[in-house]
Amino acid sequence: MAGDCSIRAIWILNNLDAVVFSRRFPVVEKRWRAACQSENESSEDGAVKYTVFSSLPSDSELAAAFSDRKMREGSVRGFGIRVSQSKEGSDSWVDDPITRHIVGFYINREEEGETNLMWPLALHIKGPYCILILPLVEPRHVKAYTRLCKRSDCGNAVTVDESLSSLLLDLPSITGAFMVAHAIGDIVTGDVADPEVVVSQSPSVGGLLDSLTGSIGISGISRAKPVAAPVASSAPSGATAIGALAPDVPKSGSRLLDKDALRSFISSAMPFGTPLDLSYSNIFSIKANGFSSLDIPPQDLKQPAWKPYLYKGKQRLLFTIHETLHAAMYDRDEIPDSLSVSGQINCRAELEGLPDVSFPLTGVSTSKIETLSFHPCAQVPERNVDKQTLMFSPPLGNFVLMRYQATCGLGPPVKGFYQLSMVSEDEGAFLFKLRLMEGYKSPLTMEFCNLTMPFPRRRILSLDGTPSIGTVSNAEHSVEWKIITSGRGLSGKSIEASFPGTVRFAPLQTQRSTSFSSVHEGATDDDSDNEPENANNMVNIEEFLEEKMNKDLPPVDLEEPFSWLAYNYAKASFKIVGASLSGISIDPKSVSIYPTVKAPVEISSQVTSGDYILWNTLGKCPSAVNAKV
Amino acid sequence: MAEKPPPKPVSPQDWESLTEDFRHGGARREKWSCLYPSLAELALSSILKKEFPFKIPLVIFLDEFSHLLFPSNSLSSLLDRLVEDLRTIVQSPIDGVHITYSLKEQMMVSTTSILISTNSVEVRCTAAVVELLLAVINRPNHGLDRHARAIACECLRELEKAYPCLLSGIAGHLWSLCQSERTHASQSYILLLTTVIYSIVSRKLSISVLNTSVPLIPFNFPEWILGPEKEGSGIGIGLNYKELRRAMAFLLEWPRVLTPFGMMVFMRMVMPLAVALDLQPSMLKVQFFGMINSFHPVLCHVVLIMYSRFSEAFNEKEKDIMRRLLFVSLEMQQSLVFRLLSVHWLMGFLNRFMVHGGDMEKKKSIVKMGFMFYPRLFDPLSLKAIKLDLLALCSICIDSLKARSGSDMFVGEGKSVVKLFQDGLISVSAFKWLPHWSTETAVAFRTLHKLLIGSSSHSEAHPSATNELMESAFYSHLKGMLIDMILEFQRLVPVIVAFVDRLLGCQKHHWLGERLLQTMDENLHRRVVIDYRIVSYFLVFDRIAENKTIPPRKLLELLTKFMAFLVEKHGPDTCGKSWSHGTKVLGICRTMLTHHQSCRLFLGISRLLAFTCLYFPDLEVRDHARSYLRMLICVPGVKLRGMLNLGEQLLGISPSSHSESFFSMQSPRQYQDPKKYRNISSYIHLERMIPLLVKQSWSLSLLPLGAGNKSKSFCGIRDSEASIDERELDASIQFQITSEDERVDKPWVPLYVMDSKVSEILEILRRHFSCIPDFRHMAGIRIKIPCNLRFDSESFNHVWGGESPKSRLHGVEALPVLYATVLKFSSPSPYGSIRSCHIPFLLGQPPVSDYIPGETALLDIDDTYIGSGEEEAYKAPVAIELEPREPTPGLVDVFIETNAEDGQIISGKLKSISVGIEDLFLKAIAPPDIPEDALPDYYLDLFNALWDACSSTSNTGREAFLLKGGKGAAAINGTRSVKLLDVPADSLVHATEHYLSPFIVSVTGEHLIDMVKYGGIVRDIVWKEEALGLLLDANTSGSELNRMPLQLTFTENEDERESQVGINKRSIGCIEILIFLPPMFHILLQMQVSDVSTLVQIRTDHWPCLAYIDEYLEALFLT
Repeated sequence: MAGDCSIRAIWILNNLDAVVFSRRFPVVEKRWRAACQSENESSEDGAVKYTVFSSLPSDSELAAAFSDRKMREGSVRGFGIRVSQSKEGSDSWVDDPITRHIVGFYINREEEGETNLMWPLALHIKGPYCILILPLVEPRHVKAYTRLCKRSDCGNAVTVDESLSSLLLDLPSITGAFMVAHAIGDIVTGDVADPEVVVSQSPSVGGLLDSLTGSIGISGISRAKPVAAPVASSAPSGATAIGALAPDVPKSGSRLLDKDALRSFISSAMPFGTPLDLSYSNIFSIKANGFSSLDIPPQDLKQPAWKPYLYKGKQRLLFTIHETLHAAMYDRDEIPDSLSVSGQINCRAELEGLPDVSFPLTGVSTSKIETLSFHPCAQVPERNVDKQTLMFSPPLGNFVLMRYQATCGLGPPVKGFYQLSMVSEDEGAFLFKLRLMEGYKSPLTMEFCNLTMPFPRRRILSLDGTPSIGTVSNAEHSVEWKIITSGRGLSGKSIEASFPGTVRFAPLQTQRSTSFSSVHEGATDDDSDNEPENANNMVNIEEFLEEKMNKDLPPVDLEEPFSWLAYNYAKASFKIVGASLSGISIDPKSVSIYPTVKAPVEISSQVTSGDYILWNTLGKCPSAVNAKV
Repeated sequence: MAEKPPPKPVSPQDWESLTEDFRHGGARREKWSCLYPSLAELALSSILKKEFPFKIPLVIFLDEFSHLLFPSNSLSSLLDRLVEDLRTIVQSPIDGVHITYSLKEQMMVSTTSILISTNSVEVRCTAAVVELLLAVINRPNHGLDRHARAIACECLRELEKAYPCLLSGIAGHLWSLCQSERTHASQSYILLLTTVIYSIVSRKLSISVLNTSVPLIPFNFPEWILGPEKEGSGIGIGLNYKELRRAMAFLLEWPRVLTPFGMMVFMRMVMPLAVALDLQPSMLKVQFFGMINSFHPVLCHVVLIMYSRFSEAFNEKEKDIMRRLLFVSLEMQQSLVFRLLSVHWLMGFLNRFMVHGGDMEKKKSIVKMGFMFYPRLFDPLSLKAIKLDLLALCSICIDSLKARSGSDMFVGEGKSVVKLFQDGLISVSAFKWLPHWSTETAVAFRTLHKLLIGSSSHSEAHPSATNELMESAFYSHLKGMLIDMILEFQRLVPVIVAFVDRLLGCQKHHWLGERLLQTMDENLHRRVVIDYRIVSYFLVFDRIAENKTIPPRKLLELLTKFMAFLVEKHGPDTCGKSWSHGTKVLGICRTMLTHHQSCRLFLGISRLLAFTCLYFPDLEVRDHARSYLRMLICVPGVKLRGMLNLGEQLLGISPSSHSESFFSMQSPRQYQDPKKYRNISSYIHLERMIPLLVKQSWSLSLLPLGAGNKSKSFCGIRDSEASIDERELDASIQFQITSEDERVDKPWVPLYVMDSKVSEILEILRRHFSCIPDFRHMAGIRIKIPCNLRFDSESFNHVWGGESPKSRLHGVEALPVLYATVLKFSSPSPYGSIRSCHIPFLLGQPPVSDYIPGETALLDIDDTYIGSGEEEAYKAPVAIELEPREPTPGLVDVFIETNAEDGQIISGKLKSISVGIEDLFLKAIAPPDIPEDALPDYYLDLFNALWDACSSTSNTGREAFLLKGGKGAAAINGTRSVKLLDVPADSLVHATEHYLSPFIVSVTGEHLIDMVKYGGIVRDIVWKEEALGLLLDANTSGSELNRMPLQLTFTENEDERESQVGINKRSIGCIEILIFLPPMFHILLQMQVSDVSTLVQIRTDHWPCLAYIDEYLEALFLT
């Protein structure tokens, strides 16, 4: 059974811990029961024999188990690592962050004994919903996990045979379950957008809808809309189907949890519980459009399962290089600034038939690229070849052709420092000195650039100071500096911007937030003994303030990179178009299509900022050792 | 509520709510249970209705709950209807409204699913369904119904999976269908064919997969499904390899048309097929290894599975796999869970590789790659945590490789493993200054833990692993790091303590926690600065104090210094602080006292406590320190620890030791109840027969310490303690044990002029002492305290549920009984070991209502007879035998262990028995050679000799008197005191006769002699009649000079002096009393009796007993 992925059941819960959708797969369940039975028969050595929980819970039982775990583990996801509140037998006892995603439930805790652990459940939280997928594993795996979470010692060593790692390595069904969970999550929240393909000249890059709406005046840059319906034949049957399709397109947030859509997706994607294809747009197109007699399969090739329709119409090939720039700017001698690019090439191939497309990747060999990974449709080039040629057989609609991580080939587009110094408990003086687009040549254009100073834990009373360029506004908990506003892009030159000023805060409320200190405090909190003396000894106001503020600093979730609240920083957001920062590019002339057709190739690129952080040079900042790969 | 069956569902809304009820489960589902078979019928007929919009959900509903809706008794008919429905729907033309492809597809899927899950090999139904499905798929490349064909293939595949080899007879047809299908449905055809081949190979059927002679339709149910399952029970034996390989070759041509999940299903079957058909695994590698570069997690995982299956074929690909997995973890576009998974896979992969992988060099180079990936700044903390795990794993692997290869190994660019790890921790370095509950802290310490326990596993005991761990660079680094952290970041103390606790709580790594504590103990005290901030370390100190393996000396020194600091810093504004800190320090002391042997602590802690008692500004702290000190000194270790153990902890433990015993089997639950044992002393009583005169609770006073060596519970501290005692107690008594050769030339052997009188005295004394047994070398003198044991029936029954059938049968008479009672005694006072006492049988005392005990019963003769008789039956005499090492009053603790009638074991502590000073009063031992009638004279002489010896000027002071046996010796160092008793002579005489008559050696004075003789109790003493010479005579032994200061101190007050004179004038006589106090001391009383008051002169060679004597005399005469 190993190597397969089958789903025993799916549950979706809302934020009131009630099951709003469930689906069970009796065929898979039958296999599970058979496995349990043979396991029980094979392990008849009396004392150590114990059974695994062998039946599926009803919705109400599951909801009870869900809230039971939530109680036990502090939150829906749980502690993740072993903390003082962790109980033996619970997920966090295993002491592994992945137990925030792969969870176990105790069904009917009171009624049955030790045999009621249901594991593994892939937990995916999307919007207000918790999606739980129970994949089929073997009873011995459940037992192994039970041993892991019931071990009475101090925790697992890293080099033992029975570890969570080897379990996970042996269980692709868990991986599959997460894929299913993500697909379902996107559907229930209506978040089924295809990857973005941007083209400056042409109005239409999305699916069929785009071609309809684009012609009636939405010009400029438009994004691909969800559900890349095929550019189908002009047959009348197709047209009626399209008419029916339009209102059914789930809009983001508008129609939450369309049960019918979900049900039909599940029935098609995994009719018997074994997923076959999770592409929502394909499944939905088939459901909505069906096939006409004019959809003729290719003559000598097999049409891939991931491409149920073939394109017909004007042919062209679109690429968008989309990069996100993450940066940590320290402006310190001891910590180097770090800039990293995570990029992807999105593609839309409007090509007839089943052609292969290939092009050489330039810029990869100059080694700014750290990692490359590809769409399953791509033939992967051997690494370490100077000129890598990528070949792929494109699916329909927009898709991500490849992803990569890279270092930034150019300097940071926003360079400089941010200094904030607290002159008193409630007043801070700050200074920005920035250089934008230094060393960036045309056609690189910065479309806009904003800088935000968040103060989530202080209320801003007033702000003084004028920037050398741009406008400043402040909200209750943040200051925003618009350096370059959209419409006045910066291209071909660099500019300097500075902004000295002071910000005044409302007095600090020392609320002793009992909510989390009671949860997270195992030991005595007798700082009161130290307080007066510490205050006198405090070197400066900043340290004193830091001490004071840290007292009610809540712990962050394990999904956060660090405790954002503990630091002072400014965050830049911008968009640069014109070229990639990693240096990766596609030469339109070298793109070849086989069998040869004449199709224009359009390439665009854009860079947006991800976490682009300027740390307060005068304060504390998180850092990490940057190991060279 | 569920009595009346709910109405049958008709409308779609009815069905919808019914569906909800079924999903919800519990009572909501239960209420439908009576309708189960008819529900399915209803549903099946609804599906066929033309105008019914709820068809698809209803089909799914039937599918999901088929185990309920298709009960076995009506299964056959229901399935028939189902198949009929399926046929109707599949064969109806599509109208786009009521009959859609979706409905057809769902109907096919659900019917198949119901057939499989109801677990019925209903040949008829299954064959019909298969035939129907085959008819659907038998139109390859037909444009319109291509997806329905794909679904039909899936249905057939499920059936084939459920009943392996179901379709193997028509494999040839399937193959040709598969070859011709070119639409996107081809994936399903490929998978179907693969499944059929897979089951042929796994069942080893010898079937031609090329043969199409059997017609596809009508479908014949193959006999190998129906017949008994046998290996190779197909047509012929052995696989048709050639054909199968051809089929495989065909299948392997088309992986690129499969979706990732299709690929997963495909590979699952291809891998065993490749093994069974002897295909080259390298072929698979060429075909499929490229999938590792996909960003689809499922494809990556498929490659990993492939690797683990054919690891030798994928040799040299390990680096690619590692690199790829590491890169997945870096991909920011990837969802977090897959990034986490990739690191897990990597660790699982490395673990296996280390076990099964190739040679050393290869392993090294692979493992080194792990070090390329530190956590990155924007990695979520969970990913950071797990990457740190990976670093830990790699470094441990490197360590073990290094150990095996013996070569010096550095990772990266000459970095040591420790350095690598420090670098790794930087990504969560904020843990040092963030509050200790921050997530960063949790992650950092989790990593420390992983790193520390490292390679040692919990499952097996590796003694070598322990050594390795101790010697590892990590360990030495880590302990240093922990110490530094404690010193630098005090906020981390609770976390560090929790960390140590985690190790301490683990059976395997307990020693590691201890070792860390030891290290802290060694290093911390040196480096800690004594100021108020030390308080934050108290949590650590507490753990150190708890730990038996750590000598408490250093900690005590530190705490003493801190106390001194507190005292020094004390000012008006630090009151609260001093109190709080002082209390905490005492708390730690307490912890020590409860966990350590007193002897280890004694010196240090007594110093600390003494200092605190004397100087600490806060009264409460002082008080507490004092009581701890007293307890430390007076109560032996075991008992002390018991007393200090708060709450029920100890009580909870003690009975559990008994629950292991044999009898506990009868009523095990009762032993869990500590309450029963707690109040055992309230209904089982051990009482003294003779009540004490002085109601003395056991004394906490420091004074009794005086006499030389402590009892055995303070073993091992003799040296240090002796020095304390000498300082404290002015050495009023010297008691020396000397070895034989030392005695030959004692430095303090007296050199004095001996007149005849002195030598006479010495002679008497030597003779006397030689009769006293030396308890150090032989059995000492024993005293007996007679007691009675009894217990109350009523409360006993109340607690132990004694309302047994037996007792009800016999009514009141049936009293509870205790069998085989054992009383064990122990005492904190120096009474030596006390023998336990056995009482075979004891009847419970009847309730007070029908039993009138004691004095009231005496009024009536009959009652007295019965009462006293019964009273005897209800009491068991017990004699507690003490062998006092020192004449001090004290307490004897009593523990009872006994059996009730039903075999329950009752055990617990009874009220302690107090031992008064008068219990220790003995008559001096007379030498055996003295005739009976000479005894009074002997005692008088002895009295006089001792009286003289106990005067402070006595020359005998430096003489050592050998004790019996000749090994030990005693010296006399006397003390004197006086007491004025305001009692009339007759009551004094009465009391003396009653309590002290055995000890009287002489009575002087005519009048007094008359009084005493009249009483007739005192006999065989020396009667001296010279009344006039009374005072003189009484003081002959002491000089006037010596008496003066005494007189003065006594008569400070003029009035008293007058009265004293008056007393003397009217003196009527004198009584001399000699009391021997075991083991070797004496009290001499000389009572100068006058009409209204008596002056008692007291001399003793054991000064601490003066206090007790004083109290005793007061109790004896004045109350």
